[in-house]
Amino acid sequence: MIPPDQKAFLGRIRQALGHAPHESRNGSHLFMQGPSREELQILERYRQRTAKDREELLEQLMEAAKPVHLCVRRLPDPEAAGAAIAALVQEKAPEPDTVKQVVAWRHGLIDGLDLHLLPEQSAVRVHRTPPLDPLMDPARRHAEREAQRRAIAKAHMGVTAADFCMADTATLVLRARPGQPRSVALLPPVHVAVITLDQILWDMKELFALLRWEARFAAQGLSRYMAFISGPSKTADIEATMVHGAHGPREVHLFVVASAPGRLQYVGQRSTFSALTK
Amino acid sequence: MECMTRTASPSKVTLFIPCLVDALWPEVAEAMVRILRHLGLSLDCPADQTCCGQAAFNGGYRREARRAARRFIEIFEGAQCIVCPSGSCVHMVRRHYPGLFREAHPWRRRAEAVASRTYELTEFLVDVLNVKDLGARFSGRITYHDSCHLLRGLGVKEQPRSLLRHVTGADFVEMENADSCCGFGGTFSLKYPDISAAMVNAKVDHILSSGARTVVACDAGCLINMAGAMSRRGISVNALHIAQVLAGVDFQRTCPF
Amino acid sequence: MTQLHPETYREAARKAIGDPVLQKALAGLQARFGRGAAEAYRRLPEGPHLRHTAHEIRERAVAHLDVLLERLAEKIRQNGGHVFFASDATDAVEYCIKVARRHGVRRVVKGKSMVTEEIDLNEKLAAAGIDAVETDLGEYIIQLAGEKPSHIIAPAIHKTRYDIAELFVKNMGIPYTTDPPALTRAARKALREEFLAADMGISGVNMACAETGHITTVSNEGNIRMATTLPRIHMAFMGMERIVGRLDEYEILLRLLCRGAAAQTMATYVSYTAGPRRPEDSDGPEAFHLVVIDNGRSRILADPRFREILYCIRCAACLNVCPVYGKIGGHAYGFAYSGPIGAVVTPLLTGINRARHLCQGETLCGACMEACPVAIDLPRMLLALRETLAYGDAFWKTTPANPLEGLAFKVWSRLTANRRTWECFLKAAALGQRLFPKKGNRLRRLPPPFHGWTRKRDFPSLAPETFLARWRKNEIEVAKDIP
Repeated sequence: MIPPDQKAFLGRIRQALGHAPHESRNGSHLFMQGPSREELQILERYRQRTAKDREELLEQLMEAAKPVHLCVRRLPDPEAAGAAIAALVQEKAPEPDTVKQVVAWRHGLIDGLDLHLLPEQSAVRVHRTPPLDPLMDPARRHAEREAQRRAIAKAHMGVTAADFCMADTATLVLRARPGQPRSVALLPPVHVAVITLDQILWDMKELFALLRWEARFAAQGLSRYMAFISGPSKTADIEATMVHGAHGPREVHLFVVASAPGRLQYVGQRSTFSALTK
Repeated sequence: MECMTRTASPSKVTLFIPCLVDALWPEVAEAMVRILRHLGLSLDCPADQTCCGQAAFNGGYRREARRAARRFIEIFEGAQCIVCPSGSCVHMVRRHYPGLFREAHPWRRRAEAVASRTYELTEFLVDVLNVKDLGARFSGRITYHDSCHLLRGLGVKEQPRSLLRHVTGADFVEMENADSCCGFGGTFSLKYPDISAAMVNAKVDHILSSGARTVVACDAGCLINMAGAMSRRGISVNALHIAQVLAGVDFQRTCPF
Repeated sequence: MTQLHPETYREAARKAIGDPVLQKALAGLQARFGRGAAEAYRRLPEGPHLRHTAHEIRERAVAHLDVLLERLAEKIRQNGGHVFFASDATDAVEYCIKVARRHGVRRVVKGKSMVTEEIDLNEKLAAAGIDAVETDLGEYIIQLAGEKPSHIIAPAIHKTRYDIAELFVKNMGIPYTTDPPALTRAARKALREEFLAADMGISGVNMACAETGHITTVSNEGNIRMATTLPRIHMAFMGMERIVGRLDEYEILLRLLCRGAAAQTMATYVSYTAGPRRPEDSDGPEAFHLVVIDNGRSRILADPRFREILYCIRCAACLNVCPVYGKIGGHAYGFAYSGPIGAVVTPLLTGINRARHLCQGETLCGACMEACPVAIDLPRMLLALRETLAYGDAFWKTTPANPLEGLAFKVWSRLTANRRTWECFLKAAALGQRLFPKKGNRLRRLPPPFHGWTRKRDFPSLAPETFLARWRKNEIEVAKDIP
């Protein structure tokens, strides 16, 4: 079953390391069978987190966001976040190759922002990105995917949720899910992410502990594709001058919703196709 | 650190004279003698020492370096406390000598024993003797160049600085990139003279912008390199070994340039 | 493009030293990143000692490479990805071309990858009729200029805004501007079109994690995310050693990588890829290929003297502190890898005799070792390489590089074996030095092998009598008080 290229390749490595070339070595000791003591403490800290702790994390996040030029705002509820997005839509002029359009993920928290009111308020179109039906005819699915891609490439603003945000480095964590194209956070010149206060984590250690061992996150683990995003796209390749928006967004805004209705809590974890199309 | 045995202050010191100092710049060794005698130490200087073998070692000639190491060990292993006015020579003895011999080889232990008793002058003064103020006088602005093996190899950074700060009349300033290599690198400076010269000229520019009239270091190699470049460029900044400053000798007469 | 010869090295170095623009850029780069990384290590919650923990992590990973790679391949295949193990550059390139042809690939976009430079992928794709566009802004600039990168993370530091303006006017037809934001916008527009039109995206791998079965890529511009999200096919190339076992180990390495590379606490984008998109996913590549490359690495692995070089995570921190790199820039190194890492790894990958100048053209100052996020002892390996050149080495099939030098050290060894002989030699040299022009105490010109020194520096003349000769005669003055 092992392809010949792999067999010869790993054989050479084993030989170089002084082992029998054609015997797979047992490497179970190299991997974790359960959380380490440090991770248990981290998980415990996460579970015991109080409202006050969360506000402190937000403060830390805002501090870390400054040097990476991530704009963080705390908003009381999804309605306020929706209004803030509407104001941002008004304020931001489209780039030469984009039009004043918004593309937004299909996601519980984003659905609650009332972005559908935007066209009436400001004549700005809002594209949603519904999940593709895996049972759909491949040609139709391809056509739908292409249509979504065109809309994302044209929009001047992309609105996404996020799985987490790490306060320590002001890093958004996005895991791939149907209905949540990764390019929404990448192609439009302005990226707006909306999260709830309880999605702020301390640091990468906490994130990885949750993704490894906390059942409701570990089921998906790191997913097929996970992205860390810390502020806008940057380059300093021309005479070391810092320029934002090299390829990805020129601006990244993070709206932290302090209290969301119960049904929105952890909606980001409802990952299956059926859950999202109900 | 394995070498920092802070036992009672030694009364007798054995001098380890770097070959560059011995042949090109004996004044540095004289200055060291003057300092150590001033501190009331009795001195011994093995008359048949020649070279620690660093140049061979750095060139990849381990066999020749090992031969030099054996000779050095034989000459110095009776000594209580070996002191040398060079960071890179001490680095050679302390960090590289033991590795020249296999783990179980009897020479390995002898090398380790000698290594643990070998000190660079400024670390000996500050860490072993606990002396920072030698009562020396100097006039003018001085800056200090960290030699690579002393700083990164032996971790000696503050000792020479605190000695210099205690010299009456010396206005000590830090230059930019004091810790970057001057480009000497032993045979490197002969094999790649253009690169080496570019490096030393960058160093000289930093010395100049510090405004110092004297640059001090703990290694004759770096000093010869910096002084050679300044002399060629017609710059009248003195390059002095720290021993010369601390001994308060008349540097105008004893500087090799 | 491999240019490995002592003379081309000297020549390229001379050219770089004589280029004031490059000198300024290199000094700026080192001041910013070199000092910045040291500061960033100091601010780690665990302190700079974390580098040594990382060293152990890398040591463990390299000692279990077979296990880790097997696990990674298994996981990626479970997700519908393909893994190919390439024993050399030819294998890797052929696989890439084969896959490209099978999928009708005409245009390729690339994220920066040092290993694809090592295997000369772009040239070989071009020869097969496939255009590969570099999308990192710096790489794009030098590709337009028809050059090679001169730094791992700042490939175009040798270009001024004026050079770039001219390149962009010529190649993109934009109105002349030297404004970096305007130039960046122009490149963004041109490259956006490339991303949307490309059939295949090629990336490197910053680090793979065996436990989770992910490869990760790190960038600040977002070009790698573009190249691995928009085209139909994503092919990632990784040197076989770029893997760790567990996520907690990965976490430590990522933090150190960001600090070592650019003095950041976190790069702007870090992407974790475990396979192609699923049918219900809206975007991402439909096919994912990982090419694991040996190309001489298993040979290095087999030699305990040099195994440590495989711990390298290609962050370029050593370039940012190396005083030699700071003067000669990246091009002089003549291969994909420059600076201290290049000085060690290039001879091992391309032939030690052939690239002998790289391991000899360093001062052993040790700055690289202090800057390395995984605390690799580069000076030790430079010395070990020099040893293979001094005496020849059966394993690496090296021959003595400079028999004359070898002879000189043999003679030196004899001379220093006896104080009296040594002193006779010094006396003879002291007599001999009278033949050369002097000014005061300084020698202005010396014969080979010292002639290079005196081209730009003076050399002190030998003292009339050695210190030890005077000590023997009790001539060393008895100390008075220090004035």
